[in-house]
Amino acid sequence: MRPPPDLRRAIADDLRPVAPLAPPFRRVVWLMPIALLMLVAASAIFGARRDGPALGLLLTWTASVAQMILGVALTAAALRESVPGTTLSRRALGAAFGGALFAAVTITWLTWRASPTVVRPGFAAYVWSVCMAGTMVSALPLLGAAGWLAARAFPVRPRIAGALYGIGAGLVADAGWRLFCHFSDPVHVLGSHTLGILLVGILGSLLAVARRSALPR
Amino acid sequence: MERFDDERLRELMAAYQAGAIEAFDGLYVALAPALLSYLAAIARDRGRAQDLLQETFLQIHRSRRAYRAELPVRPWAFTIARHVWLMEVRARGRRPAPDREIPDLPVPPEVEGLADRERLRRALDLLLPDRREALLLHHVWGFSFAEIGRLLGVRADAAKLRSSRAMADLRRTLAETGTRG
Repeated sequence: MRPPPDLRRAIADDLRPVAPLAPPFRRVVWLMPIALLMLVAASAIFGARRDGPALGLLLTWTASVAQMILGVALTAAALRESVPGTTLSRRALGAAFGGALFAAVTITWLTWRASPTVVRPGFAAYVWSVCMAGTMVSALPLLGAAGWLAARAFPVRPRIAGALYGIGAGLVADAGWRLFCHFSDPVHVLGSHTLGILLVGILGSLLAVARRSALPR
Repeated sequence: MERFDDERLRELMAAYQAGAIEAFDGLYVALAPALLSYLAAIARDRGRAQDLLQETFLQIHRSRRAYRAELPVRPWAFTIARHVWLMEVRARGRRPAPDREIPDLPVPPEVEGLADRERLRRALDLLLPDRREALLLHHVWGFSFAEIGRLLGVRADAAKLRSSRAMADLRRTLAETGTRG
């Protein structure tokens, strides 16, 4: 069975040497400077949360670094998912998405328990919009970079790959944003920060599908 | 069907990535027959499978950078073929697949002696599509259950379960039709 002449000609006309992509765990290292920048940016620009002393190192920096590492791990999983033949099983995907949600809820609950701070009446909508927009906007650099790295492979399930790196970027962004926002009320945190993470996941998914659809067929 | 060992396929992929058109020829010779059979089985149309095969090799070409030497080549190529088929199904606007019987396929050696080819083909046709796909991938094209799991996006044990249930269904159907016929 030989290749049809038309196909062979099309391939020959476009054939040039390419370097194979590095493994996902190595490619995700390239994203670490962006992730570290996102971790420190909000508190460096707007100031650290006021209840920091009450929370201690464990519930401020340690929790945020752990959340950042989880976000980067989800991004690595997205890069793996983007290579044909190494797609993730449903169980692995369930563990990834479930782990992200579990981490967000656990950190929220522990923070609330250590330092319960609520939004003043009348400011809820304003604070809600600032924190959700802040989480989403600060996720964009990592979302863009991870999307570019994933698209260089060949994601056969772009919706899933995009959701993985989108939620990963959202987690990293929120890891930084929570070091600035001092409201620990779960209604505020889950309704704006965690919702922001989920929306970045949806955005990543939509962008990955759009990028895939734009490729020649 | 000519079988190529994975080591040879990996060498061909490396040469293809380095820009050798002869390596593409070698890969086509090695992979096209199995890919065509697979596409015919999931698309249920040999004519359409021919078009999908050409599209699969174009996508393999576009994504050749994503292949790494430590990955087995056949699961990588089959995953792309499956993706091409799914894209084609979506491009047709989610219209249901034509109600055709599956074309003549290689038959799992384990059941070859149980009936004539026509009865085997009809029995394969009656299997649930996801079970049939796992059965054929394992028993005809020789994939491990871990590879099938990654290809179908399920766990290895789920792939094994699908394949073994398909085999049990196939034996039962053959026994029933044998009794009736």
